[in-house]
Amino acid sequence: MRKRLRRIHLAKLAITVLSLFNFSNIGSLKAEEILHIGAIPDQNPERLNRLYKILSSELSEQLNIQVHYKPVTNYAAAVTAFRTGDLDLVWFGALTGVQARIQNKGSKVIAQRDIDEKFHSVFIANKKSSIQKINNINELQTLKDKRFTFGSESSTSGRLMPQYFLNKAGIQLKDFKGASTGFSGSHDATLFLVQSGSYEAGALSEEVWKSNLERGRVDPSKVFVIWKTPPYHNYHWLAQGNLDKKFKKGFTKELTNVFLRFNEKSKKQKQILELFSAKKFIISKNENYNKIEKIGRAIGKIK
Amino acid sequence: MKLIKPVSTLLTLIPSIAYIPILIEVIKGFHIGGLNIIFLFISSAIKPSFNQEVIKSAWEGLQITIAIALTSWVISILIGILLGVLSSDLFWKSIPKFAYLGKLIKYSLAVPRSIHEVVWGLLFIQILGLNIWVAIISIVIPYSALSARVISEQLDSFDIQPLIAIKQTGSNIMSSLITSILPKLIPIISTYGSYKFECAIRGVTLLGIFGLGGIGTELYLTLKSFEFNEMWTCLWMLWLVMILLEKFIRFIRNYSFTNINLKNSFIISISIFSLSLLLGISWLYNLNFEIFTSISFSYLNLPSFVEIRNGFNDLPLLKLIITTILITFFASGIAIGTPPLLLLLFPGKFSLKVQNLIWIFFRLIPPPLTTILILLFTNPNISVAALSLGITHMGVMGRLLTDNIINQEKNIYRAIKSNGSSKQSATLYGILAPQSNSYLAYGAYRSDVILKETAIIGAVGGVGLGWQLQESLSSFDWAQVIIVTATFSLLTISGEFLFNTSQNYWLKNSTNNFIS
Repeated sequence: MRKRLRRIHLAKLAITVLSLFNFSNIGSLKAEEILHIGAIPDQNPERLNRLYKILSSELSEQLNIQVHYKPVTNYAAAVTAFRTGDLDLVWFGALTGVQARIQNKGSKVIAQRDIDEKFHSVFIANKKSSIQKINNINELQTLKDKRFTFGSESSTSGRLMPQYFLNKAGIQLKDFKGASTGFSGSHDATLFLVQSGSYEAGALSEEVWKSNLERGRVDPSKVFVIWKTPPYHNYHWLAQGNLDKKFKKGFTKELTNVFLRFNEKSKKQKQILELFSAKKFIISKNENYNKIEKIGRAIGKIK
Repeated sequence: MKLIKPVSTLLTLIPSIAYIPILIEVIKGFHIGGLNIIFLFISSAIKPSFNQEVIKSAWEGLQITIAIALTSWVISILIGILLGVLSSDLFWKSIPKFAYLGKLIKYSLAVPRSIHEVVWGLLFIQILGLNIWVAIISIVIPYSALSARVISEQLDSFDIQPLIAIKQTGSNIMSSLITSILPKLIPIISTYGSYKFECAIRGVTLLGIFGLGGIGTELYLTLKSFEFNEMWTCLWMLWLVMILLEKFIRFIRNYSFTNINLKNSFIISISIFSLSLLLGISWLYNLNFEIFTSISFSYLNLPSFVEIRNGFNDLPLLKLIITTILITFFASGIAIGTPPLLLLLFPGKFSLKVQNLIWIFFRLIPPPLTTILILLFTNPNISVAALSLGITHMGVMGRLLTDNIINQEKNIYRAIKSNGSSKQSATLYGILAPQSNSYLAYGAYRSDVILKETAIIGAVGGVGLGWQLQESLSSFDWAQVIIVTATFSLLTISGEFLFNTSQNYWLKNSTNNFIS
């Protein structure tokens, strides 16, 4: 008995070792192609899970293919998964989108939300700090020597653009209290940390700020907006260049159209748009992000 | 009985001096802003979430972690044995012509083990993508190299006369090797192997924090969204499973390796390994991982010479190296100094048992999580990084010390105490003193691990090579990634040499020896 067990086990081991070196294809039966979608984890995971579960089922229904959502734990991982081909379609921020596109020639920006054309970041502060509302960019100087946090280190609205405007006002990262600024990891975390007083001030996406206001998760007696940045292009859907080959001719176009057609008449689509804090999706193109690329290079997040 | 030298006993306490600068910096940066969050965090410990969904996903996370740990543990032990035997002097004694091969293997193994499993993970994910094998390979590489080192060192520390004797009888080289090596190998593997399994679980949990799945990912996500009750559910479950596993392993070890002849214990070892591997792989398969699908590689554009030169000019390498060393220094102080200090402050049998359980707990909290928590109430600086690393490894050190003391003879303690000494001084001379040399030797090895682990403390901006590695990775700057990883590797290899020397010094003077 043991002998037989061992033989089976040896066979399995052999298969494992072989598959490790890519000599055998056992188990990889050519299944129906699946569309793997993903997103940068910019908000609380439970919210993202809810949003992408509904979106996957809607896309699956509209396109008549299987759609899977693969969650990742940080921004850089989303970019990596897109480069390695584990994700076919990803909801990227402007910076991560450019990072991913540079590493994956042929990929294409297909759509963005109405709000992404003129996106803003907000600087927020804790009421107990001595920080006041400011009227122009140069007054960002008041943040010097305060405890300040960004969101993820790869976030466009939570780091890149705020840092760009801070630099413009003559503030470098080392000017804050401690060795540098904090990196909370996500917009929700930034809000939580500033509201609680762990940090005196922070920067996050206006969209997340607003949606937390609506959901009653902001305590106005504890935290307030001190400044809103000028507008810039942000979030977008980035698709792999090979989707037409993987699924069928014209697939990318069809996929884009599904997004463009989303409206509030369908119950599911209305829910999706609400979770995306948008009225509709609009068409977008690679060139919209040239300015972001320039800023990314200046700050060193794009090489 | 050996005369008790209080020198090394007092030396175990000296590292805790590291607390002074650390606490000064932490207190200086202290602010009450995050106090309510800390309170929330602590109070959540007694009311973890019992939500069905939370428990379900924590349980699934645990299964993934254990299954990956089990699979990679078996593979790494097997490769470790092979490489360990091949790099031992003992093996090449029989074929001295090729002895240089052994040395070659021995020294080249320093490279794979000088890089932390998480760093391997972050590099492999770039090539293999989101794949379960990334986690397995990342554990297997450093762990095999580490096991190989321990096994070859242990083999070489034994008397080689029997081998020479067997050889002189004119018997076959291979069979003489097996008969001389096997009896030594099996006890090493049974103690070191079971210790390594627990390390593997810790390693896989850490990998999870960096997005490779399992309980680590659950812990990270719940903490990042500040759902403390849910985080405690995961932590308590992990703690419980670890204690049960430990008891189970101890049971198997006592049951199967005591008073059994060589042949049977060999068969038992083989079947434990086969069953574990089978269990690990089929478990992963059951959890719906595509473990048998072929892996696809995606290639990276390697940076050019010019890019690497530019990387050298851009990076403040010297500053990064110095901060890394400082972090290691302070973290080691906390890790080595705290357990003996606590033992003296709270002596007694009951207190010892409590401390033992507390240490298991501290050992389980991954350093990156501690960093996030400490950052809630103090400014980001070197102390935060040192403290979070120190706390985890303090758990490892403390556990080892209390375990050994529980198993140690109490004669000296009783003798001193019956002379009318206080509980404290009886503890110092009767309990701590017999342990201190081996404890310090183990501490030297821990410092080595801590140095390696600074690679994963990236949350404190601008501090240490670990932070730079994460910044370079998220900027996809491969030239910088290569430079930082190579610097790290060099630093750890020299650290290993240094710690090894001091470890040998303490072991030479040690009365009771334990492998680790």
